[in-house]
Amino acid sequence: MIETYAIRRPEAQESPIARQIREDLGIDVARCLECGKCTGGCSYAAGFDYTPRKIIQLVKLGEFDKLLSLDALWTCLSCQLCVDRCPSGINIPRIMDYLRARAHRANSNITHKNIEKFYEIMLSDIKNRGRISETIMMIKYNLAIKNLFANASFGKKLFLKGKLKFFSPRTHNIKTIQPLFRRLSEKDGQA
Amino acid sequence: MSKADTAALIIGGGIAGLETALKLGQGGYTVILAEKESALGGNVAKLHSSFPRWEDPQELIKVKQAELKTLPSVRVLANTEITGLQRQSGGFTAHWTDRATQKSGSLPVQALIFATGFELFNASVYGEYGYGIYKNVVNSLEFEHLLGMYEQRAIHVPESIAFFKCVGSRDRSKGFPYCSKICCMYTAKQAGLVKKISPDTQCYVFYMDYRASGKEYEEFVRQVIEERKVRYVRGRPSKVVLENDKLLVRFEDTLIGVPMEASVDLIVLASAVVPRPETLALARMLGLKTDDYGFVEPVYGSPVRIEERIFMAGGCGFAIESLGAIAQGAAAAAEVTALFNKSE
Repeated sequence: MIETYAIRRPEAQESPIARQIREDLGIDVARCLECGKCTGGCSYAAGFDYTPRKIIQLVKLGEFDKLLSLDALWTCLSCQLCVDRCPSGINIPRIMDYLRARAHRANSNITHKNIEKFYEIMLSDIKNRGRISETIMMIKYNLAIKNLFANASFGKKLFLKGKLKFFSPRTHNIKTIQPLFRRLSEKDGQA
Repeated sequence: MSKADTAALIIGGGIAGLETALKLGQGGYTVILAEKESALGGNVAKLHSSFPRWEDPQELIKVKQAELKTLPSVRVLANTEITGLQRQSGGFTAHWTDRATQKSGSLPVQALIFATGFELFNASVYGEYGYGIYKNVVNSLEFEHLLGMYEQRAIHVPESIAFFKCVGSRDRSKGFPYCSKICCMYTAKQAGLVKKISPDTQCYVFYMDYRASGKEYEEFVRQVIEERKVRYVRGRPSKVVLENDKLLVRFEDTLIGVPMEASVDLIVLASAVVPRPETLALARMLGLKTDDYGFVEPVYGSPVRIEERIFMAGGCGFAIESLGAIAQGAAAAAEVTALFNKSE
């Protein structure tokens, strides 16, 4: 753990996770200038346990277990401001996606199980229907988190404004969606 | 051949070109100094105070200009743009246009000195900083003008000023990968001068690292931090928003790792040093090699020789301090002297 001030010995080489990120995503964290422009612009830094610059630093240090149990993985809004501001063009949201997927597969200590559930349900909806049916998805989600009326009042408002429909049709050409998921699961098999 | 038969054309009358003209003129060589603007002095003539000894650059320009006037072999062509350059045996033909009278002509010269200087990167590329949108976000050269007015008490010094370094420098996504070299020092000078004029003004300098590798440079920056009480913050600002006539700067203090905000009245952007497009155009006329950015390049082993008969001095080669530009100006004069003596 890195919270303590016990003296550590950093690796002089590229850490295994930094190498995986470079090979799998083509993103080299060695480009980081450590300027903190990502964190300064971050929409939700106040709600993070580790801010974007520190996450990159964890990657450099090879703190793999720490990275997979980050709270920030699940509270990140994926607003893309960090990559937009980064003077080195490091795609931090892509790294966050990658770490989220790794955490999910590794069944690691995920601090926001609900958010993980939400991602699961949303992706299975897209896989089966080609698009999201918000109402059905919200019901599934509420069932999954065992709180049937979560966000119900908010849903009602959206419904009255015509923003939410009971049924959304499947996408016309569902056949184009499935190969995407097939390709992704093949990639997963390799990783 | 006598000295009167060989002439050197210096393109640009900033501090580097002035120095070359002075040294060649003192040696009795025929010099034509072409300056596009109406006055000599270039960027240095716009500056207030200097590092590392708080000396007056405008005074320096005045002294050099007065000295130049005493030299009979130096011809200064103000308002004059060099519009064409052609090679011919033993030298060049230079075409010029007088920007005031629209007159034009050409002259034969035996040596060329590029002293065309640099300009600042257009910081409006960074939407997040609001340059060109908020009137109180200025670049560092525009701020020099304000400094002059603060010195003369012509306008009030604001209550708080933020200086952003590396705006366009060290940025591979929207600017340039290189370090512009001079910004660390002139920013320290600007902030230090503000504190001298108005000790109550709060000055923040946002930096990634401060680079002070020169004689007395480190001591200068420490003096600005320790004695003049300029607040140095390690972090690159990420956002500027307008809030009740003030500018709210968002950044991370990367030493403690916490996102922070500062409310200021004025923001000064230390924009990257970039080559002038005119330099590139002139270099192309002669088929000269430039670097990837458009700065002219001397050969390995000489600080100023680009090729036979063609030299450079000052900011057209890369970002450079005024004293460095003077050194290059003098070196170019030495190279021309050696060349002319060889041909004689």
